[in-house]
Amino acid sequence: MSSLERPSAGKQYWRSLAERADAPEFRRFLEAEFPDAGVPYLSPTEKTGTGSEPKYVGTAGAVTGSVPVPVFDGDDGLSRRRWLQLMGASLALAGLSGCRWEKRELVAEVKRPKGRTPGKPQRLATAMDLAGSAIGLLVTCVDGRPIKIEGNPRHPASLGGTDAFTQAAILELYDPDRSHDVYRAAEGGPIVQTWDKFAEFARPHFAALRKSGGAGFHILAEASSSPTRAILLEQLLEELPDAMWHEYEPAARERGPLRTDFDLEASEVIVCLDADLLGAHPAAVRYAREFAKGREVVEGRMNRLYVVESHFTVTGASADHRLAIRAEQIAGFAEALRRAIEGRAPGVSPGIEEANASHPRADAQGSPDSGGSPDKFLRAMADDLLAHKGQCVVAVGPRQPGHVHETVRAINAALGNMEQTVWRTVDYGPDRLEAPQPIEALIAAANAGHVGTLLILGGNPVYNAPADLPFAEALAKIGTTIHLSRYRDETSRLCTWHLPEAHFLEAWSDARSYPGGEYSIVQPAIAPLNDGRSALEILSLLLEGRWPDAEKLVRKTFETIARIVGGGTSDQAWREILHNGISPASPAALMMPLESELPAVVESKPAGKKEKSGSDLEIVFCADAKVFDGRFANNGWLQELPDPMTRLTWDNAAILSPATAERLGVANGELVRLKYRGGEAQLPAYIMPGQADASVAVMLGYGRTAAGQVGGSSADGVAPVGVDVYRLRHSAAMHFDSGLAVEPTGVKYPLAMTQDHFAIDTVGMEARAQRVGSLIRETTLSEETGTGRGLAEHEAVEKDSSGQSAPHPRQESLWEEPEYKGHRWGMAIELSKCIGCGACVVACQAENNIPVVGKERVLVGREMHWLRIDRYFTGDPADPQIAVQPVACHHCEMAPCEQVCPFGATVHSAEGLNDMVYNRCVGTRYCANNCPYKVRRFNFFNYHKQFRDAANEVLKMAHNPEVTVRSRGVMEKCTYCVQRIQAAKIAAKNEGRPIEDGEIRTACQQACPAGAIVFGDLNDKQSAVLRACHSKRAYGMLAELNVKPRTQYLTRVRNPNPVLLTLRVREEA
Amino acid sequence: MSGKSNLMADPIFPKWIDRLRPLAGVLLAVVPLYLVGMAYYAGSPETTDVGYSPVQPIAYSHALHVGEMGMDCRFCHTTVESAAFAAIPPTETCMTCHKNVAAESDKLPLLRASWADEKPIHWVKVHDLPDYVYFDHSAHVTRGIGCVSCHGRIDRMEQVAQVERLSMGWCLECHRNPEQHLRPQEFVTAMDWKPIEPQEVLGKRLREKNNINPSTDCSTCHR
Repeated sequence: MSSLERPSAGKQYWRSLAERADAPEFRRFLEAEFPDAGVPYLSPTEKTGTGSEPKYVGTAGAVTGSVPVPVFDGDDGLSRRRWLQLMGASLALAGLSGCRWEKRELVAEVKRPKGRTPGKPQRLATAMDLAGSAIGLLVTCVDGRPIKIEGNPRHPASLGGTDAFTQAAILELYDPDRSHDVYRAAEGGPIVQTWDKFAEFARPHFAALRKSGGAGFHILAEASSSPTRAILLEQLLEELPDAMWHEYEPAARERGPLRTDFDLEASEVIVCLDADLLGAHPAAVRYAREFAKGREVVEGRMNRLYVVESHFTVTGASADHRLAIRAEQIAGFAEALRRAIEGRAPGVSPGIEEANASHPRADAQGSPDSGGSPDKFLRAMADDLLAHKGQCVVAVGPRQPGHVHETVRAINAALGNMEQTVWRTVDYGPDRLEAPQPIEALIAAANAGHVGTLLILGGNPVYNAPADLPFAEALAKIGTTIHLSRYRDETSRLCTWHLPEAHFLEAWSDARSYPGGEYSIVQPAIAPLNDGRSALEILSLLLEGRWPDAEKLVRKTFETIARIVGGGTSDQAWREILHNGISPASPAALMMPLESELPAVVESKPAGKKEKSGSDLEIVFCADAKVFDGRFANNGWLQELPDPMTRLTWDNAAILSPATAERLGVANGELVRLKYRGGEAQLPAYIMPGQADASVAVMLGYGRTAAGQVGGSSADGVAPVGVDVYRLRHSAAMHFDSGLAVEPTGVKYPLAMTQDHFAIDTVGMEARAQRVGSLIRETTLSEETGTGRGLAEHEAVEKDSSGQSAPHPRQESLWEEPEYKGHRWGMAIELSKCIGCGACVVACQAENNIPVVGKERVLVGREMHWLRIDRYFTGDPADPQIAVQPVACHHCEMAPCEQVCPFGATVHSAEGLNDMVYNRCVGTRYCANNCPYKVRRFNFFNYHKQFRDAANEVLKMAHNPEVTVRSRGVMEKCTYCVQRIQAAKIAAKNEGRPIEDGEIRTACQQACPAGAIVFGDLNDKQSAVLRACHSKRAYGMLAELNVKPRTQYLTRVRNPNPVLLTLRVREEA
Repeated sequence: MSGKSNLMADPIFPKWIDRLRPLAGVLLAVVPLYLVGMAYYAGSPETTDVGYSPVQPIAYSHALHVGEMGMDCRFCHTTVESAAFAAIPPTETCMTCHKNVAAESDKLPLLRASWADEKPIHWVKVHDLPDYVYFDHSAHVTRGIGCVSCHGRIDRMEQVAQVERLSMGWCLECHRNPEQHLRPQEFVTAMDWKPIEPQEVLGKRLREKNNINPSTDCSTCHR
C-alpha cells in the first residue's frame, strides 16, 4: 500500500519524494535496515544485473558513462575509504592487552604542571574565528590534549551552544594531512625547508622592502576579527606606506562595513528575506537560542517566523510560513514589502507581479503555507508586521545586493524597530574602518606586473577565487609569493614559500564576536603539533625581524583595549579574561555609532550584461553547511554529517525543484551539465521539494584537489569529494545570477543520502497496528492554547483508524516491570526548538569515538552516527513544510533489543539505561532487527584498525579516553553519554552531595544551540526533564508498542498566521 | 572354510584388551575435562596475574618508605581521593626528600638524571586493568575501601607485586557484599588496621551510614 493512500488522518509526513511515491529505493531501506548486508562484495552495477539499468559513475568530475563505483570489498577497497577507517578513534591495539605480561609503562611527569591531575579533564576558554567573527569556546583537555569542544556559556555568541564547525575543530587539529613543513618552490619540485631557512630569507627580503617603502608588496588576508592582527597590519602599512592590503572571503557571512544585529527573543514577528539567521549567519548560534526562547508558549504567545528564500535552509525549515521565490526576486519582494509597510496600505506589488509574469511557475507555487500566492503572503505578512511595530524584525541575507539592505533598513525604520529589536553598527576594529582592497585589485596589479612580493595569510584563493579572476595565472606573474595555511593546499602548491599555520587550538591570538565585537582571547590548548606558526607571528617577524612572544603580543592588545574601555591591565585581569574567555567590559558599546553616522551600504557591482543563453534558470551559490567554503573539506566528521536539509553526505549537488526537474527532464541523482557564462560543471541533480522553481542552488567548497586524504588530493590519487562550482562563479555575480542552462546527461550518479536510512516502518505495521500514532507530531498555537485540540486531534486519529476508544488502553507487559528506586535517567526533546542544524550529531561523534565510514558505506546505509536527525516533509511537494526530529536510542524500559539478545550483551541497568556491553556482543544483530526506532549501529568492519599506521598515530589523540573504541562485529548505540553520568555520580558522591538537576548534560544537549534537549533524573521531582515529560505536549514515539521509551518528544507548536490559514481553507473549498 | 570364520577365529585385538575398555571410557571422559581445566586454570587471573612483580627501573621499596618510615600512601599518590588514577608521583615528589636524603645514593642515579635532564622515569605498570574497564580510585577510597583490600600489604613489599586477581568476578564479589571491606574513612590508607568489632557488623553499619550501594550494572565499569 502506498503511503499516499494511508488512511491516517491529519497531516501527512514523508521523509523524501521516494517515500511519498513508495519508490523501490525507499522500500530497500524500509524492508531491511542494512539492505546490502548479505551482499557486501558486489558493486551496485553488478547488483542491478540488467544492462538497461542506468550506469553508475565514480566521480562527477570524470564522466565516462560506465565507470562502476568501486567494489565494496572488505579490506582492499578505495584508498580513501581504507584511510577513512582510521578516522574514528582507536585503542584497538591496546585492546589486545588481554594477553597478560605485555609490559606497560607508567610515565610520570618530572614536574606536574600546576592544577593538572592525571586523567582529569581540564577546561580552557578560547575562541574560534570563522570568516571574521568569533564564537567563544571551552575546550576540554585530558592530560594536555584537547578532546572536545563546548560552547562558552559566558560568551554572547555562544551562550553555551556550538555549531557543527566548532564541534569538528578537534578532528582538524589532529588531522595528519595538516601541513607539517615549510616548503620552498625549486626547480624539480618543492623542497622541504625549515623555519630558520625561511627567517633567513625573510629578514633581508623584508628589510629591502622596508627601505623601498613597500612598493610592490601586497598582502592578501582572509577575514579575521583579531585586533592584534589588525594592529600589526596597521603597523606594517605605516612602515611600508606603499604596500597594499587585500582581503578575500569567498563565502562571506556578512556584508560590507555594516553589521546588523537583532534581538530575536524580543521579536514577535520575524521575517527573513533570503537570510539564514539560524544556520549560516555569523551569530546563528546565539540567534538559535533567542529564537528557541521565543518559541516557548508564554501566556498564549510565541513568535512567528516568515521566511522568503530560494532554497531550503534551517531557518526556512523552522518557519511558520515560507515562500519559495528565486533569489533575484527577493529585491522586488522587499521593495513591495516596503511599499506595503510605508504606505500602510497592503496591496498588490508590481514587483511581484512582474516576477510572476516572467516565471509562470512562481504563481503556481501557492501552497497552504504561502497562503496561496506571494501577493497574499506578502499582504498577510505586512499586516502582521504592522500589528507588531517595534516588536518585529525584518532581516535580509548577505547574498542580496546593497540596495535591498537599504530597503530592509527602511522597512525596519518604518516599523519602529531600530534600537528596539534591530541595531546597526559599523564593524569595529582598526582594520575594518579603512576598508581593505578587494582581490580584483590584486589580480589587476599582478597582471600589470606591479606585484613583487605577495604574502597570503590563510585562505585558498587559487581554489576559491571566482572563475573570471584567474588567480593561479596572476600568481605566476609575481616574483615572490608566501602562503601561510593549515594545509598544503591548491594555493600553497603554486607559491614560492608555503608556511604551515598553527591551528587555533595551538596558538595565541584574539578575536571578536559578531556584531558587537566582544573581545576574547584565543589561547593555545596544546603546543603546535606540526610546528606551525600563526599569522601574528609571521607579521611580527616581518616587522621586527625576529620571532615574537605571541602571548606578549596578545597581552599588549588586551592592555590597549582595557585602557580604552577602562578595564584593568593587571595580571589578575589577564588571568580573569583567560579564565572567563570574554572581557567583562565589552568595547562594543564604545564603538557603536549613531544611526546618522552610518555610511550607506556599499553598493555591490551591478550584475554584468547577462549572456543570453536561452535559459531562464537562476544559479545560487551557497556556502556549504558542512565544509563551509571548502576549508573543512578534509574533515571526515563534517563530510559525513548529513546536510541539514538535503541529508546528503560526501557530495554536493545541483538542487532543483520537482517542477523544474520535470520541465528539464531530470531525474533525481542524474548527472546534469550546468552551463553558465561560458563555464561548465557536471554535478548530480537533487530534487528538493520546496526549492524555488527555475532556481538552482549549488554548494561551494567541494571538488578540492589538494585538500588531503579525505577531501581529495590529486597528488595522492584521491578523487575529490563533490564538484567544484567556484569555476562557475563570476566576480560580477558572486551569489546568484540568471542565465544558467541545465542539461541532463542520462548518467546516474550515486548520491549518499541518509534521508531514507533507518526508516521506521509504519507502513508495514498498518495491518496489525492501526494504532501506531504519528512519529512526529505538530500542533498550532491556537490549538495548543485554545482547547488543547493539538493532542486531541492525535487521539482522534488513533480512534478513527483503529476503531477503538482513545487513548489506547494501558497494555499489560509480557515482562516483569522493574522499579527504579535511585536515579531514573530520561530525556525530553522539544521539537518546537530543534532547528535540525546537526551540531548534536557531530558532538555525539566527537564525544563517543564514533568512526567515519566513507561514502561507499553510507550508500548502503552503514553510517555509524548514534544520533540521527529525521527530516519529514509535509504538504504539497511543490511547497512543503519541513519538520525535523532527532532520534537516538530511547532507552526503552521494556526494551525489545534486550529481549532478543542471546548473549545478554544489551541489558537494563538499575537506573533504566539500556547498557550495551561490547565484550559480550558477538554481532547477531538480532537487537537491531527488533529495535522499532532503528537506532542501533553495527560495526561491519574494524573502522579503527589503520591506526596501526604510524602516520595516523596523531589521530588517536582525538579520542575520548572515557569511551571504549569498538571493533568489528560489535553493535553500538547511544548510551545517554553514560561516561558523563558516571563522572557526575562519582564527583557528587565524593563530595557527599546529591546530583543537581542539570549537572549531567549529554553531548548532544550541551552542543545544541537552541537548547532543545533536556536530560535528567525522572525520579527527581524538581527536574527540568520531568517537567518537560509532564507537559501535555509530551509523547513517546511508538509508545503504543508498550516499549516505554525514556526519551519523550514535545509536540512541535507552529504559529501560523490565521489569515493565511483561512485563505488556505477558502482556496481548498 | 570361509574367510568369515577365519576372522572369527583370529580376532585383531587380543582378548585381554577387553579388560581395558572401562579404562578407555574413563580416559575419554577425563582427558577433555583435564585439558579444559588446565587451560582454564592456566589462563585464569589467579595464575597469570597474581604474583606479577616486574622489576622497576629504580628499586623503590615500599617496605622501606611505607613499612619502616610510615609514610602515608597519599604523600606520593596525591590524586587518589579526587581522581580516577592514583597517579604515579612526578620526579619532583621524590626530589623533595632526595635532594637531601640519600642524595648521593648509588641506587638513585636514574632519579637524579631524570631530575637534571627533565626526562620522565618509565615505571612498569603492575596493576593493569583492561582498557574497557573504567576503574575510579576516588570512588572507592572516599567510600572507605582501604588500599590494602586490593593492593595487599604494600608496606611489606620490597618490589610491588599483584596479590589479588583483579578479575571481574573478584570485583563483583565486593560490589555485591561491600561489608567485607568497608572501613572508617580515616583508616583507608592504614596497612595494618584491624577492626575491633567483627568486620561484618562494622561493614553493615558503615554501609548504612554512608549509603553505600555499589552498582553491578555493566555500565558502571564498561562504557
